[in-house]
Parts: sequence; structure tokens; C-alpha cells
Amino acid sequence: MFEFLFKYPARVFEKGEFVLLAGPPVWMLLAAIAAGCGFVGWLLWRRGRERFSWPRLATLGVLEAALIALLLTILWHPAMQVAELKPQQNVLAVVIDDSRSMGLAEGGSTRLEQARKVAEETVGRGLGEKFQVRYYRLNRGVQRVEDPKAPVAPQGSATRIGEALKGLMAEASGLPVGAIVLLSDGADNGGGIDLETIAEVRRQRIPVHTIGFGRLKFDRDIEVTNVQVAARTLADSRMSAQVTFRQRGYEGKKARLVVRDAGKPLASQEVTLKSDGSPQVENVLFSAGIAGPRTLEIGVEPLEREENGRNNFVSRLVNVESSKTRILYIEGEPKWEYKFIRRAIEDDRSLSVTSMLRTTQNKIYRQGVANEKELEEGFPTTAEELFEYQGLVIGGVELGYFTPNQQELIRRFVDQRGGGLLFLGGRAALAEGGWATSSLAELIPVGLSDRKGSFKRDPANVELTVAGRDSLITRLEENPDKNMERWKKLPYLANYQQTGAPKPGAVVLAEFNPGGTGKHPLLVTQNYGRGRTALFATSGSWRWQMTQPLEDKTHEMFWQQLLRWLITDTLPRVTTTTPRQVLSDETRVTLRAEIHDRKFDSVNDATVTARILGPEGVAAEVEMTPEPLTQGIYTATWEAEKPGTYLTEVMAKRGDQEVGRDVFTFRREDGTAENFAVEQNKELLEKLSAQTGGQYYKPEDAGKLSREIAYSEAGITVKETKDLWDMPALFLLLALLRTADWLLRRRWGAV
Amino acid sequence: MRFRAWTAGAVLLVIALSALYGQRRGGRGFFDEDEYVPDPADKDEKTEYVFTRLRYPSYRGGSGSWGYRGSWTTDYPKADRHFVQGVRRLTRIHVRSVEHVLDLDTDDIYNYPWIYAVEVGHWDLSDKQAAKLRDYLLRGGFLLVDDFHGSIEWEIFMSSMARVFPEHPVEDIDNKDHILNVLYDLKDRFQVPGIVMFYTGRTYEQDGVEPRWRAIRDDKGRIVVAICHNMDLGDAWEHADHPRYPEKYSGLAYRTAINYIIYSMTH
Repeated sequence: MFEFLFKYPARVFEKGEFVLLAGPPVWMLLAAIAAGCGFVGWLLWRRGRERFSWPRLATLGVLEAALIALLLTILWHPAMQVAELKPQQNVLAVVIDDSRSMGLAEGGSTRLEQARKVAEETVGRGLGEKFQVRYYRLNRGVQRVEDPKAPVAPQGSATRIGEALKGLMAEASGLPVGAIVLLSDGADNGGGIDLETIAEVRRQRIPVHTIGFGRLKFDRDIEVTNVQVAARTLADSRMSAQVTFRQRGYEGKKARLVVRDAGKPLASQEVTLKSDGSPQVENVLFSAGIAGPRTLEIGVEPLEREENGRNNFVSRLVNVESSKTRILYIEGEPKWEYKFIRRAIEDDRSLSVTSMLRTTQNKIYRQGVANEKELEEGFPTTAEELFEYQGLVIGGVELGYFTPNQQELIRRFVDQRGGGLLFLGGRAALAEGGWATSSLAELIPVGLSDRKGSFKRDPANVELTVAGRDSLITRLEENPDKNMERWKKLPYLANYQQTGAPKPGAVVLAEFNPGGTGKHPLLVTQNYGRGRTALFATSGSWRWQMTQPLEDKTHEMFWQQLLRWLITDTLPRVTTTTPRQVLSDETRVTLRAEIHDRKFDSVNDATVTARILGPEGVAAEVEMTPEPLTQGIYTATWEAEKPGTYLTEVMAKRGDQEVGRDVFTFRREDGTAENFAVEQNKELLEKLSAQTGGQYYKPEDAGKLSREIAYSEAGITVKETKDLWDMPALFLLLALLRTADWLLRRRWGAV
Repeated sequence: MRFRAWTAGAVLLVIALSALYGQRRGGRGFFDEDEYVPDPADKDEKTEYVFTRLRYPSYRGGSGSWGYRGSWTTDYPKADRHFVQGVRRLTRIHVRSVEHVLDLDTDDIYNYPWIYAVEVGHWDLSDKQAAKLRDYLLRGGFLLVDDFHGSIEWEIFMSSMARVFPEHPVEDIDNKDHILNVLYDLKDRFQVPGIVMFYTGRTYEQDGVEPRWRAIRDDKGRIVVAICHNMDLGDAWEHADHPRYPEKYSGLAYRTAINYIIYSMTH
């Protein structure tokens, strides 16, 4: 219809420039229009003022003035000047996505079959006469196809539209590429199209026309969009996987979250599915088990009649470390809590508590020391000594026991070294020990008053807060509601210490209620610098052990979970990370190592080497280079040629002396990326077209492409002038104006 | 005449038995076990550690003469109060000035992870009490037994203890064990006698010549029952202020029990 009325496709008007081809200048047209309008107005006033009211007179005046203006404009010879590709001198790049998602069958044929059909019937036939058509395959990148009729299977393991455009732009620099036609479902899994690539396409002025295939939405599907789980943990740790997913067609139904290790279920949890299309976030707990790399499959069990059952699970790699972490526990006086904390963690294969207990005014009893010299002189006085520990527990010790130097070391232990610090209640702890007014008060996650009498040897019941309901520290039962109930039934604490309100950013996980004074913070955590601190405002949790049946493991579980939380994220001297531990249909891995010395100062002059052992005997040694703008950071990129698990040992040396080493694993998996986000990504295709001057088409509208594609500023073009004076729309408008004028005059009795 | 002779003989016998009993109990006057001990002003203070004395049923086998007064009360409460004063002075343990008495018939025992039982050569635990004591010790409690002597009292002690821990042997504590070094180094030990020493001239009683520092451990090797056999720490605490009771015995008794308390609070 548009072309019938306006004679040319809309792209002519979008791309072209409006011009008036008649000889007289434009000001003469404007003057003529003004004069014509004036004459019409004078005539109307003279002849019609007695027959028409003023509003009617004005209406007729407007209609007649418009008619005159239109006629005069037509006389001035309006036209569009537009750049048009020269026939047979330009290349048209037809890019067909043959990734695995294009193999989904919809309406009796696969997306790829539909795309090839459109390419063959519409694009190829219509445009083959005007352009040199080059065919390309799109998956990980772009490859030219010599024989477009040769059979192609949708086997591409990834869709990287950005990479493909980069490749085409490189090729276009030596070819007169006039336009690109992309036939795809837009299910890109390479991270989208970067701005640099878009800028290059725009610079070369090549329009990218897109034809979208595939359904915009499935009727019944559950898709896991993200799973967050710690990349490292200690053996036997309880872990939490945060699963984000969305569903369509199953609102209100029950589904089962599952964590599997090599096919063996580790944990499962029933969830109720929320509204269609909205993201749903759920947590599922599981045990990390013994040391070693774990490739976990985490997701939602497929439901009946799901249209895509391959997007329900994702893989995550967790390095379960065998090393024993060390926690230093200093206690100011003999107390039952001290003994029972030590007992609670003695079966924990990953935790080791070294403790120093002030038994008398001048004697310290040490336990768990690595050698006779350790802590022989008391609490550490150097960073090297203190920073050997990953966690620090300060029991009932008054602030004055620590020298100013030791106080500063404690602050740096958390802030710089990234250690975990736990404060316990006690008759010489917190406000009772003079901590309220010290510079270390900021390490305590609650405010303290300097008033004495905050520690009381009276019973207090315990309750979890909402935050504590789901916390890994306080999780005694898998089911959060049962967990709340179990905490309510715990035996009362033997004592408690009242503090002020939690600080901004601190999280209260549990509260105690001594009766009569309401609830008070019991277990509070906060992040501080690179580390974390916590408060457990009692030294009376030992009753949970003594007054419950022998089989009850509440006390052990709580203390193991609390102390593991304390040290889980403590930095080792060498920390290696990679943006993605599971490379889904990718080969390039980026290694990043952060190197510290024993004082946890950044090391910039180390030699850092990554030794990589992979599947089928792959072995490589990669030198990591320091990043110029960040202290102590070394990076390297490497190609993982084969799918499988890669063990990497990163070692940092200064001369012959080892600074530290770290072992971690990453994994390359093929054939998974194309299972996710397989609905047509129309938004991406539309944006790509819009940003490059192209157009998005549905497959059924692809025929229009042959008429519109020629208007491009890329390649070899010629400026074409398109007359507009004879557009049917203009004549129709003239007729409409005149008819309207006549009809109105007749209605008002003037004809 | 004959009647009067019998009467005189009976009186003499009663006097002699009373004297014997008095010797065994320390008697009145010279070492007064029933001396009035006033409650200190801070007797209600809430503290971390409380000296807890176990009230147990006494053994009534044989003649049954042991049932005169509960054996658990021996040296009570003066020994307890003298001892906790020493603990206060010598350590950083927050200690109550008065003792607490409890038995194995209620669950209150679980609130006191350290208990002291005296004269266990005369105790006789029921099966239910033995089971509760076992449960208490396995949960984390600690038992110190003291003031029983010789092979007969050992057998009586073990007849109950064997029902508490049938699978755990009694062993002698090695000099290198933490319990003998946790605060004081107790390598050089000697027999701590009761006040019977002043009547008999011997530091031992019955056939308990050799002092034995023994123990029963739990499955993880921690001492949960400390056994002071053939010695009398309780008398040494009780009479620590007596000019005639040698300081060296009281000193060792204090140090031994303090070590046992600190061990029980650390292991």
C-alpha cells in the first residue's frame, strides 16, 4: 500500500534527501504560496462574509490555501535523491545461522530449513540478478559457503553474532559489500555484540538486514538462567547454590531443584513455580564432600511436556580444597565455651583451631600449636606471624591486653589480609573489656556503650531472624521453616551480653531474649575491608551440647558452620581466578592471579607461572604477566583445545624463593551453550538492524527485502533522483481537498 | 557383779568403737570436721565455675555400717570452700565461693560440667544413675573421685564405675599427660594423706600404700574421670589452714585439682 501511494519503498524516504528540481528558487515558491493564499482569502472575504460565519469562512480558507500550496509545490518538481547500489557491482553477504538452536523444529521444519528456504526463494532469486551474492555460515564465527545448496546440519556449538560481524567487516574492507542479510534466531551466546563492532559496521555504512526465525516465546518451558555457587570451598562444607530460572506454562506447579555430582544427586528441594516469565531465585543446600574438583549439575528437573528439556541444568565447577585452615582463638579466662568450641570442631577435617588461654595472670596455655615456638611469646606481634592464620576468635579478652601494635595488626588482619574475626561475649569482652571506645570498635558489627554490666549469667532463649532463616551459618535443618522451629527449641544460653544496635550493613542472624527486655542481637555479621567480622554475644552456647542428647549435633554443626564462614573467603597468598570456570563452548580461558607476600603486601616483581594439565595428556606452562595498572595482579590467556577438566597450578617466585602457590581447576564443555536462550531474540536482531541502518523482517515479509535493499550508502553506489510530483498520494490529496471544499459549501447552502 | 562387768564391758566397747569412728572421721577437737562454716557474702554470685559435689547413695553391703552418714558429705563443706578460695587466688577462673551439691537423679547435673565425688569406695550407683553419669561424661562432663583407699574400696568403686564405662579401662596417668602439666608441672608427686595420718602415723590407709593417679578416657582419648586412689585431697583442702597439717600435702592437693579443673575446661 505504501508503495502504491508513494510510488517508492519507505526506505527511499528514510535514506533519501528531499529536493525541488524546478529552476526558480524556493523563496519564490514560498512567495507564490503566500500570494495565492492571500488572493484566496481576499476572494472568500469579499464573496462569502455575508453567507458564512467566521469559523466556516476560516475552514474553507484553510482548505483552499492548502490546495494552492500543494499545486504550487507540485509545479516546483519535488523529488528524492537517494544513494542506490549499482547493479552487479556490489556484493550482498547472506549470512545463515547454522548453530544448534537453529535445529529446533517449529511448524514442521527446523529454523535452519526455514532460513535456507527464505534465502533461496526470496533473497537469492530476487537479489541474485542485482548483486553478487556471497553466502556465509554463522556459528562461532563466520565462514564462507561456496555451494549454498549443499546440505547443512545445524551443528554449530555457539552463536557469536558479534564475532561474525567482525569477520565480515574484515572481509568487507577489501570488497564492495553493499549490505548484509542475516538469517538467524538471534540466540547469541557470545555475550552480545560489542560497541566496537557496531561502530565498525556504522563506519563502513553497511546496513545489516535481519530476518528472524523461531518463536518469541515457548508455551511450556523452564530455563535456568544463572546459578551462583562458590568456586572454592573446604572439604565437608555445606554449600548453597543460588538458582535463577524462569518458566512459562507451569505457574503454581511444583518443581524440584536438584544438585548432582557426576549423576549422583547431592541435594534436592521442592519449589512452587511463580508467575510466567518472571525470574525466580531459589537456594538449595548441599554438602561439598571430600576434597577434589566437583563438576556439579544444578538446575530444575524437567516437567512433563516441556518444549526444551535441555535448558534445565547448568554445570558449575567447585574446587573442594583439602588444606586445613587455621584459626587463632584467644581466650581471657578458662570457660566452658572454650572447651566445647574446641570439641565442636575437632572432627572437622578442614578446620584447625590454635588456641591460647590465659589460665592465670601470667600463664598462657596453648593448644593446637604447630610447634613449640608458636605463640610462645603470647599473641603475635608481627604481621607475618598473625597473618599465617585465616581466622581469629577473640573471647573474653580486655582490649588493654593487646598492645597498640597488636591492635593495629588485628585491624589489618581483617582489612588487608582479608581474614575473618569473631568476637565472643564474656565478662571481659566487648564493652566490659573497654572495646567501646577503641579504634577497633569499628570491627565489631554492633554499637557498644561504655556502660558496664552488659554481661549477665542468666538464661536467654534464642531465635533466628529472617536473615538467619536462610543463612549457611545458622542452617541446622534443610527446610528453612523447620530450621526456625529448631532454633526456637534450643536449650537456653547460659549467659549473654547486651550490645547496641547493629551497624549499617551488618546482618543480624539470631537474637536472644532474656525475658523482660525484648530481643537483642546475638549473632551478627558484617564485611570489613577485604575480610569479615562477626559477633556471638554469649559464651554460653555450651549448654546446647551438655543439655541435649548425645546424638544431637546442633552445637557441632553451628560452630563448624560459623567458623567455616569465618575463613571460607580468606585470601591465600596466591589467589587464582578466571571469569568463567566452566567454558561453555568456548576455548579461551583468562587466568588472573593475585600475589601477596607474608605481610599481605602486593608483590609486583614475582615470576608467575601457570602449569596446566588437561585431558588427553594436554600439558602447558604459561607465563603470567603483571597488569600495568593494578598492584600484584598477573594475567594470562590460554586456549583450551580439548573439552574436559584442566588442573592448573599457579606458582609465584621471587628469585629462587617461592612466594606461594595455588591450585584450581577449570573445565571446557561443548554442546551446552546452544541449549539456552533459544527463543528468538527479536530485540537483538531489531537493535542490530536499527543501529546499522538496516531493517528487521519476519520471514513472511522477506520478499520486501529485494525492493528495499538497494538503498544503501555502502559499496559502489550511484545517486538516483526519484520524482515525487506524480505520486498517487498527491493527486489523491488534491482530490480530497477539493471534494471537501465542495461538500462543505453544499452543506452550508452555498452551492 | 557379773551383770556390772558385762555392762562395763559394753560401755568400754561403745567408747572404743566411737573412738575408732572418730579417728576415721577426724574426730572433734583436734581436727574438727563438723566445724561451723559460715556462708560467705558472695555465696549467690553467678560464676563460670562452681565446685560441684556429687550426692550418691552409699554402699550398704557387708555390715552396712557405712550408711551412718552419707559418705558423699565427707569434708563437706569446708574442703570445698577452702579449695575454691585457692582456685580464685591462683587462676583466672571465675569461681563461686560456695559449692553446689547435686545428684544423678535430676538433669541439673548437665548444667555443671565438673563434679567431685568423695569416698567413692563407699558409693553404690543404681543402673539408672550409672547410665546418667555415662551420658553426662560423654556429653562433656568431668568427674574427679577422691579419698578412697585400698583394694576393698577400689572394688566397691569399680562395681559402680564398671557399669558407667564397661568398655573403657582404667589406666595410670603418664607424667607427660596434659592433665599433669596443663597449669602446674606435677611430675614429682607423692601421697597426699588424710588426717588419719596423725592417729596411725602412716600416710596411707588400709592396704592403699601406693598412691595412684588414674583415669578413664573417652573414645577420643580425653580424660573424663580422674581417679585419685589411695590419697585424700579433700582432707588436704579442708585442713590447709591447720597449723599441723603439712603445707606440702595441701599444696599438691590444690595443684592437682586445679590442673584437673583447667584440663576439664580445655579438653
